[in-house]
Amino acid sequence: MKFSNVCGMLIALVAAAVLAQTDAMVTRRPLELRETPDDGARSLAPLAAQTPVTRLAGRQGAWVQIRTAQGTTGWVHMFEVGPAGAPAAAPSGNAATSALRGLTGFFDKGSAPAPSSGTTSVIGIRGLGAEDIANATPNPALVSQAETYRADAEQARRFARDAALTARDVPALPAP
Amino acid sequence: MTMTHPHRPRSTRPGLQHALLLAAALLATGWAPALRAQNIDVNKALNLFQSMARPTLPAPAAPANEARTDDLVKLLSQSLSDIDEAKEIEIGRQLAAILLGSRPLYGDMALQRYVNRLGRWISLQTARPGLPWTFAVLDDAGYNAFAAPGGYVFVTKGLVDRCADESELAGILAHEITHIISKHHLKAIQKTARSGLLTQLVSSQLSRNANIPAGLSAQLISLGRDVYSKGLDQADEYEADRNGVVLSARAGLDPYGLAAVLQQLRTAAPDNPMFSLTLSTHPPAQARLDQMESAMGNRLDALSGKAGVTVAQRLARAPK
Repeated sequence: MKFSNVCGMLIALVAAAVLAQTDAMVTRRPLELRETPDDGARSLAPLAAQTPVTRLAGRQGAWVQIRTAQGTTGWVHMFEVGPAGAPAAAPSGNAATSALRGLTGFFDKGSAPAPSSGTTSVIGIRGLGAEDIANATPNPALVSQAETYRADAEQARRFARDAALTARDVPALPAP
Repeated sequence: MTMTHPHRPRSTRPGLQHALLLAAALLATGWAPALRAQNIDVNKALNLFQSMARPTLPAPAAPANEARTDDLVKLLSQSLSDIDEAKEIEIGRQLAAILLGSRPLYGDMALQRYVNRLGRWISLQTARPGLPWTFAVLDDAGYNAFAAPGGYVFVTKGLVDRCADESELAGILAHEITHIISKHHLKAIQKTARSGLLTQLVSSQLSRNANIPAGLSAQLISLGRDVYSKGLDQADEYEADRNGVVLSARAGLDPYGLAAVLQQLRTAAPDNPMFSLTLSTHPPAQARLDQMESAMGNRLDALSGKAGVTVAQRLARAPK
């Protein structure tokens, strides 16, 4: 109980700051801010490249909702905004990445518990990591269990019908 | 309709688990280094507990079995077209057993059924609709998805929770399905098997191999652990993104679901413990988005546009 209180307070303290950080975007090229998610929609304002904007929750297909520093809310194509100041470089110096290029690093540690990835693992909570896979004892019984979850083609078609999903002819995309 | 922002706590899932998830993510981004230091001991204790709780398993495979299963590895020295569908599925089953050995199945049957129906529907639009497609949600708070040859697709519960709508989940399933159609994992383990690294891999995993259940190939398991830990070739990931987008569109889903996922991944810190394996085994999300943009252009814009249904909404409507 006390533990969860501490967590709750911690979240309340820093959540707003982090959310603000992740919502901050910049325009990647000059564009028009559109009133509705459509290329032909009325332009609310022209935005220069690298204009700071706030990404809002709304998305419709390729279009995402943003707010400008002036407070205007509108829509832009999702490919036209990117994270502010975040380099697109590959993660480097990451414990997982470097160890993985020679996986044997994970196996050379005898029977000692494998370290979690780097120093960022806190209060024992982290996602499935490379070391979990390296240490996994295969479990074929669970594969058999998962196989009982399968849907057959008829069930899948019924699902699609109920969900109003219709198969379409779409040509393959060219490799860039 | 409004969609929940992927980074915002959702009112539908309050409670300690979510609090801990967010706390971990926040700490990982460097907000509370002091608290992190204090918790290292707790973390160590948990790791120790997990290793003690690991079940003791039966003796390793009998020699006869080993001879049979290692035929699968011998197959890898031949052309991929010599591996028939039955053998491909058998290889996939063994690789799937590694993933299910690292995390159990998530215990919500309604969710498992939903992911299977959605995934199976998408698989029907591929060149191999007749494979025994199997989809499963792993009980893990992290963010990841995996495929194994022969039609096995896994997503973590943490990934499902972070999908803002069904088209995002569909985009991820389509990406994984594409890896299977293009036999990317078979190619990757074949490459390692032929490179002469196999002996080294197997010997480095000797202590783990004592626990391999009968009927599985120690060599194949070593190759599987290797491929899931280090990931596929970057070119295969770009190809799976491109073909996954098309596959989603063919299944009647918003082709921008996968792009929306990558936009979210782009903001995750590489050392965030919920995302670290996904990020270390894939090209940077912005590079994937750039590739996707140059392949897509505006070609598929007309096939998208509707606001998506959330996973929770779909589950609420599902027939029992």
